[in-house]
Amino acid sequence: MSLLDELVGEPEPTFAHLDESSKREIRRALLSAVAIPGYQVPFGSREMPVARGWGSGGLQITLAVIGPDDVVKVIDQGDDAGVNAANLRRLVVASTGVTETTDSREATIVQTRHRVPEDPMSPGQVLVLQVPVPEPLRGVERDVRELRRMHAEGDYARMWVSLYEDLVRNGVITRTTGYPCLVGGRYVMATTPIPRWDVPRLHQAEHLSLFGAGREKRVYAVPPHTDVEPLTFTDVPFEVERTEGARCWRCGSAASYLVEIPGRDRWVCSDTDWCGRRIDGR
Amino acid sequence: MGYVAARGGLDAIEAAENLVRRKRSEGRSSWLEQDQLVERLRLLVDRVMSEGSLWAPELAARALRQAEGDPIEAATLLRSHRSTLPRLAVTEPVSADEIEILRRIVPAFRTPPGPQLLGRTLDYVGRLLETTDEDTLRDRSVADALAASERTDPVPDRNGSDRNGSDRNGSEHDGSEHDAEDRRPRRLLELLRDLDLVIDRRNPTDVDPEPYDISRDPVRPGVPRSALLSVMARAEAGALVNLWYRNILGPDGHLHEITLGEVRHGSLPVVIAHPATGSPVSVGEIRVTEVEAIEDLDGLEEDRGRFDVGYGLVAGHDERKAIAMANLDIAVHRDGGRSSLTQSVLLTTDGLEASGFLEHLKLPHYVTFRSMIERKQAVRTAQSGGPA
Repeated sequence: MSLLDELVGEPEPTFAHLDESSKREIRRALLSAVAIPGYQVPFGSREMPVARGWGSGGLQITLAVIGPDDVVKVIDQGDDAGVNAANLRRLVVASTGVTETTDSREATIVQTRHRVPEDPMSPGQVLVLQVPVPEPLRGVERDVRELRRMHAEGDYARMWVSLYEDLVRNGVITRTTGYPCLVGGRYVMATTPIPRWDVPRLHQAEHLSLFGAGREKRVYAVPPHTDVEPLTFTDVPFEVERTEGARCWRCGSAASYLVEIPGRDRWVCSDTDWCGRRIDGR
Repeated sequence: MGYVAARGGLDAIEAAENLVRRKRSEGRSSWLEQDQLVERLRLLVDRVMSEGSLWAPELAARALRQAEGDPIEAATLLRSHRSTLPRLAVTEPVSADEIEILRRIVPAFRTPPGPQLLGRTLDYVGRLLETTDEDTLRDRSVADALAASERTDPVPDRNGSDRNGSDRNGSEHDGSEHDAEDRRPRRLLELLRDLDLVIDRRNPTDVDPEPYDISRDPVRPGVPRSALLSVMARAEAGALVNLWYRNILGPDGHLHEITLGEVRHGSLPVVIAHPATGSPVSVGEIRVTEVEAIEDLDGLEEDRGRFDVGYGLVAGHDERKAIAMANLDIAVHRDGGRSSLTQSVLLTTDGLEASGFLEHLKLPHYVTFRSMIERKQAVRTAQSGGPA
C-alpha cells in the first residue's frame, strides 16, 4: 500500500457529487443570501461536470441543498424533456438517487433555466434558478468596483435614467427577460432571463427562490413573502408578454407563457408538463 | 412520474454520447496511447495541465484523447476531476531559485551570471514543414535515437526527452560542460539589485503572506497579487497573449515592449510536511516556465532611475504564456487600478469560463427569444401610434 493510498483511505461514496465541506460552504453562502434578499453573495464556485455557463451554479445549489428524501424536477425553457434539462437531471439523480418528477406540485426542488413553472409554488418548495449574468446593472456600468459601490449605497440612479431614456426613445420599456426588480425594498436584482411573465410570481411568493451563477461565482435569493417589484414608473405599468388572440394549440390556454411555432401561426405552452396535465385533465 | 414524457431529450443526449464513444474507438489507425501524447505532444499536454490547473501528465493525456484534441475541453475535464479530489496536504513553499534548469536564456545581457542554455526549443528550428515521407522519417528517428544512445552523457538522465531534444538542436554537449551550479544559476534580478537598479517591492514586515486560493475564493479587483498571479497561471494561453497584444498595439495601452531578464524552463521540487514527522519531504517535481520581465519605468510619477520587474510562472513548458503573464503582472502594478486592466486580467482570461459561456449560446433560448420578439412588436406598435 502506497503512502498515498494510506493517506486517502477507502474513497467514501459522496452523496450529491460534491464533498461535504464544499456543500457546507455553498449552504453558508445561501444562508447569507436568504438573510439579505437580492444581495449577490460571492462563493467559491466549484468546477462541475458541466461546462461553465451551462447551469453549473444552479447545479451546485441543488446538490448543496438536496437530501435523500427530496423529489426533484428539472426544466429548461419550461420543458422537462429538453436536452439540457435531461442532462442536468441525470447528473442530480445519478449522484443522489432521489426521485425525479415532472409534476411541479410533487417536487420539493425545482431546478430551472429561463422559466418559473405555471403551477403556483407552495410553502416548503425550493426553486433553483440557473443564472448566466447575476449583475443587473452591467448594462449601465462595467467596472465591478463601481458596481459594488452602487449596490452598497443603493445608488440606482443610472438604472432609472436608462429606463427613462428607453421609454422616451422607444415609447415602451424594451427590457425583455431578466427584468430588473427591487427586492425587499433594498437591492436591485437580475431575475435571470425569466420572461417578464414570470416576474410577478416571485413577488410575495410562498416558496424560496435561490439563484446560482456558477461562472460568475455568486448566489442570491428571494425568500418567501418578499417584495419583488419590477422597476418601472408610476404612470407606466409593468408589461408582461402577451399576444392578442394567442392560445396554446394543444391545451387551449391563453393564460400561460406561450411560445410561437414559426410559420404555422401556432402557439404552445412552454411549460410542457402543465400543458400535458391540462389535456389529460389531471 | 412523468418519466416517459421527459424521455426525448435524454434519448437524444444518450445517442450523441454513444456516437462520441463509438467514433473514438472506431477508425483504421491504431489506438492513441497516453504515453504517445505525453511524449510527442508534450506542449499540448503541458497546456492542458496549466489551464486545467492540475499537474498530472497521464490524466491530461487521457483528457486530451477523450476531448478529441480540444485543449479547452480537456482542461475542463481536468478541473472537474480536480474538484472531486480530497485535499490531502498543502505544499511547503519552495523558492523558485531551487529550479533545476533545462533551458535558460537572458536576453538582457550577452554574458549574464550563469549560462545561456538554449536547450530544447523550437525557436531556431527552421519553420519549414518537413515533407519527407513517413517511412523515411520513422527510419531516421530510429537511427537518431540509436546514435544518441551510443554517445556517453555524464549528466544524470533526469529527463530523457529533453536531452534528446537538445541533441536534435545541435547542442549535443548540453549540460555536460556545466557544473551543478550552472543548473541552478543566480538570477539576473539579483545582479540588478546589487547595482541598485531595481525598485525593491519586497516588504520586510510581510515576508511570506499566505497565497490567495482562487479555487476556493472568488476573485475581484482588490485581491492581493498572489490572486492575480494564480489567475494568470491557469488562464488560457491565448487569452493572455491577446490581452498582451492589445495592450501593446491598442486599443488598450498599458504596455510597451519589455526586456526579458530571465526565461527559464526547469523542474521544481514538490515539498510537503511529512504527516508523521512533520519534517519537509520532497514528494516529486513539476516542470515550470519562469519569466522575469524588466520594465523601463517612464511614468511621470515613477522612479526614472530604476527598473521594475514583472513575474510569470506557469506549469509546464509555455514561454509564450509566461512572458505574457510577466508583462501583464507589471502592467497591472503600474496601472494601480486606474483603468479596467486588473478587471480584464482577473475576470476575462479563464479559458473555461469564456468558452463555457460562449458555447452556452447553443442551449435553447426560445423562451427569451419569444420575449424579445414581443418587445419588437410593442416598439413598432408604440411608434405607429397604435394602442399602448
